[in-house]
Amino acid sequence: MSVAASKTGGRVLGGYFVLLAIFLYAPLAVMIIFAFDDSFVQTLPWSGFTTKWFHNAFSNEELIDSLKRSVWIGIVAAILATLLGLITAVGMTAHKLRLRGALTALVLLPLVIPYIVLAVGMLILLNWLGLQRTLLAVLIGHVAVSVPYCLLIILPRLRTLDQAIVDAARDLGASPWTAFRRVTLPLVMPALFASALIAFTISFDEFAIASFLVPPGEPTYPVYVYTGARTPALQPQILALGSVVVVASLVIVVGAELFRTRAERRLVV
Amino acid sequence: MSAATSASRPRASLFERLSAPGRGWLTVPAIFFLLAVFIFPLVLIGLYSVNLLTNRFGVPTNFSLVNWESFLPPGDNVFWGRFKSSMVITLLVSVLAVIAAYPVAYFLAFVARKRRYTLLLLILAPFFTSYLLRVIAWKVILANNGVINSVLWQLGLREHGDGVTWLIYSWFAVGLVLFYSWVPFVALPIYVVLENLDTRLLEAAQDLGAGRFRTFFRVTLPLSLPGVIAAFVFVLIPTTGEFIAPLLVGGPDSSMFGNTIQSFFQETPNWNYGAVLAMWLIAVVLVLVLLFGRFLSTDLRESKATT
Repeated sequence: MSVAASKTGGRVLGGYFVLLAIFLYAPLAVMIIFAFDDSFVQTLPWSGFTTKWFHNAFSNEELIDSLKRSVWIGIVAAILATLLGLITAVGMTAHKLRLRGALTALVLLPLVIPYIVLAVGMLILLNWLGLQRTLLAVLIGHVAVSVPYCLLIILPRLRTLDQAIVDAARDLGASPWTAFRRVTLPLVMPALFASALIAFTISFDEFAIASFLVPPGEPTYPVYVYTGARTPALQPQILALGSVVVVASLVIVVGAELFRTRAERRLVV
Repeated sequence: MSAATSASRPRASLFERLSAPGRGWLTVPAIFFLLAVFIFPLVLIGLYSVNLLTNRFGVPTNFSLVNWESFLPPGDNVFWGRFKSSMVITLLVSVLAVIAAYPVAYFLAFVARKRRYTLLLLILAPFFTSYLLRVIAWKVILANNGVINSVLWQLGLREHGDGVTWLIYSWFAVGLVLFYSWVPFVALPIYVVLENLDTRLLEAAQDLGAGRFRTFFRVTLPLSLPGVIAAFVFVLIPTTGEFIAPLLVGGPDSSMFGNTIQSFFQETPNWNYGAVLAMWLIAVVLVLVLLFGRFLSTDLRESKATT
């Protein structure tokens, strides 16, 4: 018998949990249901089953190009943010670190500054430098907003690492670099993987910064989706490709999380 | 490794000498990167807000607080009004999200037992799918001939074609979508606190004669307050600058402060006035961080490294 909830109380809480889970998944289900709806307008009753919106979406070059753009920016941003996160995290494990407080504030700042302000800031910066809006600026912005998350994932993993293992490698004659590459790096691999995945997700989904910085005619996927959602003729295609993206990201997030917990359980002796 | 062992090691290589006293120099690239991408642009926004820079042709670039004076009270500024209504909806969403998430966290921590990890993953997973796509899904649900209205028509509860008008392009729609997107995430900090709660305290309270409700309100709830406040701030801070949900499900009267800033940089470019609003938003967020920052403790804040 639990001290925290009676049997009835437990059931009520369980029922509430189920209702909330339904509330959380209902919009995703609605998106998928209407992706297969024959009608142009998303309304009930359902007009009949069709897969034409998927065909339309996949043959809509602008849409697919925007998707490719976002995948590429996401991959590069994930790699750069994770590398920068790893380097910075190793630096932050130093014993003596001058201005640790100021440094911590600086690297965590992007977590609290609203994206709209970051976007405006980067727009002004480009203007000040006399540059046009480019996808490179979008990439830089995405790396910047991802780095704090990468740090928050990598740093705790580095800190919980058993220093004795690294010391053992050093005593056996390994150089600091070899010890890092052969001992530390494999041990933080699951964290690096998680960090890259988070950075990719952030970049792939990021709308605010991209909407300010994409050059005309080269939208990222979220920017195109936003335009599509305000164009009734495009909406069914947006829902069709959106369903694919949502299902894919659910599978990846759950899969990666299961993989990570298993990998870390094996590594923690 | 202790400082003594590394100092006693003979023949230090260049790499070793660079890294021996500390690896702190490895933080330098990130510092320069963030200074260039964040801090410097904030300085530029600051210069725009006092007219030392401008994007408008023919406007002199002399120091002037005219835009600040126009925006800040006293004076009945329309954008100040927008800021106030925006903050009201932000506070409301934050409070409601925390209240709705608390029982979920409680359920996971005390009732779900073995399956709690799987169930936690189940409710967190939607949070990692595209925010924009989830807002669009809500648009389909709330639209004038969308899911809710067409169900009402099918059930004969309303005349066909006569939709509930406040469902979309309203504060209701904006608030609902924001609430929806934050609930799973705010359950997390509350869950962490409850999970680490010493259940012997609850047993002690009940041994001393307190019922479950009394135990909850006198012991569990007060002890979980740090998680509750953290959850509240987790919603409050990002929602203060929100502008995506109002773009899609908000109407002309239900746009947020973030949309006002956006309009000054996109539709009707007046970067000087927009910069004032952006600076104000940063100031508000920084005050919130200073007030509540200690509840958002992370590993990064540890004063001393463990290695």
